[in-house]
Amino acid sequence: MSAQTLAPTARPAQRGRETRRERRHRERLEEQAATIPVELYGLRRGTVTVLTTVSVLFAIFTLIPIVWIIINATKTEANIFESFGFWFASPFDFSHTFANLFRDIDGQGVYFRWFLNTVIYSLVAGVGATVLAALGGYGFARFEFRGSKLFFAFIIAGLLVPITLVAVPLYLVYAKVHLINSIWGMILPSMVSPVGLYLMRTYVTLSIPRELLDSARVDGASEVRIFFRVALPLMVPGLMTVLLLSVAGTWNNYILPLIIFSANNLYPATVGMGLWLQHAGNSGDNDLYPLLVTGGLVTVIPMIALFAVLQRYWRGGLLLGSVAN
Amino acid sequence: MSAITLSGLTKIYPTGVRAIDSLDLEVRDHEFVVLVGPSGCGKTTALRMVAGLEAVTNGTIRFGDRVVNDVSPRQRDVAMVFQSYALYPHLSVAENIGFALINKKVPRAERERRVRSAAELLGLSDLLNRKPDRLSGGQRQRVAMGRAIVREPSAFLMDEPLSSLDAKLRVQMRSEVLRVHHEIGAATLYVTHDQVEAMTMGDRVAVLHAGVLQQYGTPRELYQRPANLFVAGFIGSPEMNLYEASISDGDLVLGSQRIAGIVRPALTAYSGRKVIAGVRPEDLVLGADGNGTAPAALTARVRVVEMLGSEQHVFFSIDAPAAGARMLAAATGEIESGLLASEAHNGTARVGPRTPVRAGDRITLSVEPQQWHFFDPDTGLTIR
Repeated sequence: MSAQTLAPTARPAQRGRETRRERRHRERLEEQAATIPVELYGLRRGTVTVLTTVSVLFAIFTLIPIVWIIINATKTEANIFESFGFWFASPFDFSHTFANLFRDIDGQGVYFRWFLNTVIYSLVAGVGATVLAALGGYGFARFEFRGSKLFFAFIIAGLLVPITLVAVPLYLVYAKVHLINSIWGMILPSMVSPVGLYLMRTYVTLSIPRELLDSARVDGASEVRIFFRVALPLMVPGLMTVLLLSVAGTWNNYILPLIIFSANNLYPATVGMGLWLQHAGNSGDNDLYPLLVTGGLVTVIPMIALFAVLQRYWRGGLLLGSVAN
Repeated sequence: MSAITLSGLTKIYPTGVRAIDSLDLEVRDHEFVVLVGPSGCGKTTALRMVAGLEAVTNGTIRFGDRVVNDVSPRQRDVAMVFQSYALYPHLSVAENIGFALINKKVPRAERERRVRSAAELLGLSDLLNRKPDRLSGGQRQRVAMGRAIVREPSAFLMDEPLSSLDAKLRVQMRSEVLRVHHEIGAATLYVTHDQVEAMTMGDRVAVLHAGVLQQYGTPRELYQRPANLFVAGFIGSPEMNLYEASISDGDLVLGSQRIAGIVRPALTAYSGRKVIAGVRPEDLVLGADGNGTAPAALTARVRVVEMLGSEQHVFFSIDAPAAGARMLAAATGEIESGLLASEAHNGTARVGPRTPVRAGDRITLSVEPQQWHFFDPDTGLTIR
């Protein structure tokens, strides 16, 4: 077992260009080889059991709402309220409810329209936030300029201000610059991500050695070329984190669109469904509950998918072989 | 013509630290110059200033007769090999080597030709498609060299390029670097903390200490005529034996022992005064007790003998106070407590592998009078 595990690293001299599949395989083996087996942690058997149990319970606790929403997305309005919440009940009503997501049921708006809005806002804001975080994080991490510390302190301070606190001033400013009921009113502030910038600064500081950039400078590369050709490829795992965080942040944002949108065809899914919920509560119109449940499910699926897709970028070792220790 | 000329080069950091203090140094065309000194002496700072990666506080850097103080690193046309290699981890060996040529907009065909010939020179031809993480330490080092030579620059700068390699590979790569240097012939400024590397590689060696140039000369000059106590102690391994001594009536007084016959005009001024006397381990000739008839013989007690195979290092003690550690500590400001505390022995002799000598023996050590080095105890300068 161990001989097989070590084989790929033990004889690098015999390898030419490896295929992507071979590389994946090698990386998995290397990861396994680098993992310390649990019995070597120096923990007692009982401790391991207790910790494992706690982790499993916590995982179940977190997954329960997801399970509930998947099951109840298949139910009729009556069954949602009357049948057991954690098992299926006939009739199986998913396709009917799903089709209703594309219709204007109660005159409040169409779910699918809101869903598309969410996708657009999140993608544009997420990509924008990632680009800004890449530029800003790299700048703050690798350049010193007049006021750089002060600027950075301001950005960090931005982390501490909750959007609810600035809701009123934000609305007043937006009214002046005509960003009320404009998609840019939603996208522009979502592109500013102090967390993302802070993450990227830390990531660059830790993962891009100064010598590498100096080397590129002596090699005659311009700063722009160094950024794109040397730094950016090494920043990818960090950027994927920022992308995920900012897409998710915009995807789940409720307060900002609530403040700035009054036209319901501009709502994202969060605000639209909030409106439905309010309407259902006020009017006693229980027809909306299956739509809320199924709409909720449809809304979380892309986030889960995005996480699964981006996960493969979170691997260490990008710098392997670059600098000697 | 000289390729690189540093005059009065000074670097003072905003914190007030004087990393380099008016350094004058000249590297001629085709010359291999080694800048050597203990860690923290400023040698890397000096090199980074030459590369343009560090701003110059004072003085000038000239390439040929062009002052380059304010020229950006990308326009200086020097190549640099970094201590950590600093390879681009996401690029193949060929792309790593060719990176600078793309920056210079060298046409593709020409670029490929030059990458291939650099790879050939360094024995990397079979590895051109590899990424750095699939290379061994020595191969990475070669890629770093390849990245420098492919540019055909006017000068090479190397910052401890061999220090990350294991001992055996380091010795191999030393001659490899020199071979490449001789084939290419561009002026090279090479930084190391390893005096053996400096002695074996440099056409000329500059010894730097605390930001100040101590001596600049050929390895032979440095070894045989060190300018001061620091150079005497730094160059040579095992290092020079240094004792606090005095001159009295033309004799050298070492503790309770008197050595006659050391006649030097320069020493007359020191008659009746203290000096630092130094002698290299290989200049001590060992004789058994009782045969010590030579006038300049010292008697000593053997403490430890190290057999190295080709030679033996005899650690002995004589009753004169060793000046090495204390003076060097005063000169360098760093006190290595281990050295000061070593009361057990205060000298080293280097003898042949078949010389019968054991710990506890009483021995005599004779020295040819001209092999003694003398230093002024106040200034540390060689008394000539």
